[in-house]
Amino acid sequence: MCTGGSPSSNGSQAEESSENDNQQEQRSSTEQEPEQIQSTAIVSCTPEEVLADYGENIKLLTLNSQVAELLTIIRDKNTTRSDFKFYADRLIRLVIEESLNQLPYTDCDVETPTGAIYEGLKYRSGNCGVSIIRSGEAMEQGLRDCCRSIRIGKILVESDANTHEARVVYARFPDDIGSRQVLLMYPIMSTGNTVLKAVNVLREHGVPEKCIILSNLFCTPAAARTVVTAFPKMKILTSELHPVAPNHFGQKYFGTD
Amino acid sequence: MSSITFLCSKSSSNNINKDANAKGKSATPSSVFAAAGLLTPTPTAISIPATETLQQQQPQQQSQSQLHLQLHTPSKKVKAAVKSNGHSHIDDRSDATEPIFIDATSMGSELNCCPASPTTVPAKSAFESPMRRSGRRQRTTSIGNQTTTANPCEGIIRSNNRTIYTAGRPPWYNCAGQQVEPFVIGICGGSASGKTTVAEKIIESLDVPWVTLLSMDCFYKILNEKQHELALINEYNFDHPDAFDIDLLIDVLTKLKEGRKVEVPVYNFVTHGRESQTKTMYGANVIIFEGILTFHSPEVLKLLDMKIFVDTDPDIRLARRLKRDISQRGRDLKGVLKQYLNMVKPSYANYIAPTMAHADIIVPRGGENTVAIALIVQHVHTQLQLRGFKLRETLANSYKDQPMPDSLHLLHPTPQIKGLHTFIRCKNTSRDEFIFYSKRLIRLVIEYALSLFPFKSTCVETPQGVLYEGKRMESRKICGVSILRAGETMEQAVCDVCKDIRIGKILIQTNLKTGEPELYYLRLPKDIKDFKVILMDATVATGAAAMMAIRVLLDHDVPEENIILASLLMAEIGVHSIAYAFPKVKIVTSALDPEINSKFYVIPGIGNFGDRYFGTEPSDEY
Repeated sequence: MCTGGSPSSNGSQAEESSENDNQQEQRSSTEQEPEQIQSTAIVSCTPEEVLADYGENIKLLTLNSQVAELLTIIRDKNTTRSDFKFYADRLIRLVIEESLNQLPYTDCDVETPTGAIYEGLKYRSGNCGVSIIRSGEAMEQGLRDCCRSIRIGKILVESDANTHEARVVYARFPDDIGSRQVLLMYPIMSTGNTVLKAVNVLREHGVPEKCIILSNLFCTPAAARTVVTAFPKMKILTSELHPVAPNHFGQKYFGTD
Repeated sequence: MSSITFLCSKSSSNNINKDANAKGKSATPSSVFAAAGLLTPTPTAISIPATETLQQQQPQQQSQSQLHLQLHTPSKKVKAAVKSNGHSHIDDRSDATEPIFIDATSMGSELNCCPASPTTVPAKSAFESPMRRSGRRQRTTSIGNQTTTANPCEGIIRSNNRTIYTAGRPPWYNCAGQQVEPFVIGICGGSASGKTTVAEKIIESLDVPWVTLLSMDCFYKILNEKQHELALINEYNFDHPDAFDIDLLIDVLTKLKEGRKVEVPVYNFVTHGRESQTKTMYGANVIIFEGILTFHSPEVLKLLDMKIFVDTDPDIRLARRLKRDISQRGRDLKGVLKQYLNMVKPSYANYIAPTMAHADIIVPRGGENTVAIALIVQHVHTQLQLRGFKLRETLANSYKDQPMPDSLHLLHPTPQIKGLHTFIRCKNTSRDEFIFYSKRLIRLVIEYALSLFPFKSTCVETPQGVLYEGKRMESRKICGVSILRAGETMEQAVCDVCKDIRIGKILIQTNLKTGEPELYYLRLPKDIKDFKVILMDATVATGAAAMMAIRVLLDHDVPEENIILASLLMAEIGVHSIAYAFPKVKIVTSALDPEINSKFYVIPGIGNFGDRYFGTEPSDEY
């Protein structure tokens, strides 16, 4: 699942500004590794590097030119909201399709109308989606487009205005979530704290760590490290590892900016 | 009026098709007479209220369903070529005409009347051609109406619940995708010798589904004012070689022979100028070029594969001409004779009769000579077979055990794609699920296809104040072209990923008798050559239909490297064929199957994708 190059940023200017911009967000987990951040600031990660650095449970969407264009449009501040939503939906669809690849399956042979046998495979039933309010809900439609009648749970995580600490305010899941594969949807991870809280809630409801697949659009290396360290068995799928997360995503997608 | 329509009819082959059909269906004698150049029918299908005859109607004001009639004078007998498709024309050429049009259909079908030399057109009132009158938009379309079948019954195959029309255009290129030169027949002969009748008889007996008939009349030069006046008093010599634009003629004929799309001028015999609109023609398997001076230019002679001279007795020709001009065009005996003696006859002796030496075959008595026509048809058949218009079988049997070409881009075979294939390939999948899962798969194929277009690096500003190095597509001019019917299922996905995309359509059907693909219908954006094209077909077995579609695009000047063929499922053979014929066309598919069966279905395959998607599967297909 690796083709094409990755967009490389243009040297020191982007590097510096990105550090400044993200200092606050990255403070919690990345100060101990400044070297690491600088290197990833220049080039966002290729799939091989990700595998080497973060373990095999984090996967990147194949970065072909088309995906690169989608990322570019979403990040461009001059993109209109209608374009933004259109292209974000396309990217979400691709990420969801790729996330579904992580679900377990069994071999299954079927007879085709021509009478021949096709050696296919079958996905197990018993999956569900969980979106983290609010930006995670942007990905629900993409999931619905792929799995028409899938159950979708929700978690609301808010960060405290004073302490910046994330806390779970609301959670509603299907009753038997403990026996299901869970597709956790959250598009932007800059620190990973929100996702940590959400996964903890899922675990409290009896979902094993290995049954959770995190669908993500934009992830910072810091957040990736945080999440992978905390939940090594959870599968993570993202489209880009880049030190600057497009934090305007939720606002622009829902039009509340 | 009649001259214009007659011109159109001669310059396009569609009438022949309609006429042939008409003969088969209702055998209206008038259309036969019209085609035979002996136009003497009475307007049995029309009744004209007397009040209408004095009423001058503007064509633009008429509704399309209105009948168009052109009357000479109320007192004179009305001449009409009644076409069995409900389209009627009262044909006349008189200075004192009171034009009323009768047109039962909105289609701009033209009058197929006698192939008279245009010397005899003094009508003053200018009318628009029927095409224009109908107010229909000129469009990049062709096919269906340019085909011709001798027997309409053979053109339609009914099996179970399916009706299949087999009058499309069969492959006009060989299995390497290269153009096979069409067979060009030149027909020469004096005025009113029956050239068009011979041409039509050949087309009928030939039974080749794709024939283009090109008339030399389209290439008359534009007259200046003085020449125009001469023409009005029968003193302009339309039978002289200088009256024709030979250079343009050679250009058009050469392009047709290369199988390219050409714009044939439409000559207006009233204004003696060219209509602003042109007639779009495509290369064909057989091109018939007829005219009084067909053999005059040595360059044109070189382009002709077979040269036929229609040698009709001068007395008969004069008799036909007199009859035609006087009874149908309301001209006086004196004028006709003057023109004949001063120009038509000398021109024949000086320019036309000597070219008889170039002819391969001389047909005495014109269209009545069935033996000569049978011989000609036999020869053409032999020549066509030698040129190899048998495509699909050749394709199916080549390229075994070859490595897959570089132009093939297979989607990464993820479990999800395999899972989707499992759903849509299973014969027990309900249509609801079939449509849903194939749509998902199509979306992935289209997204992947888009990534193969050229991109350029760009740098954008982000709201976070950071510059971001990304990519943008070089050109946003993308056009989807679907191969009907199964390819249409992919249109929605293309629209979902590209805002405001243009969609072209190509209808290609397999002729059940020959197993060959045939082109029926084509509708593409006008400037398609500037677009990147995603060509869509759900399944590709031998690749014959896809190759035909690619060939069509190339004929419209789309560069080969700008075409991406996107498909859900392909057979290896099809990929090989397409890649060999068109190495620069990128081929995108989600799965590759090893074989095809004797009915050209992919094995294991999906079955008939279109039938399953649209729910038209017959009960026992396999």
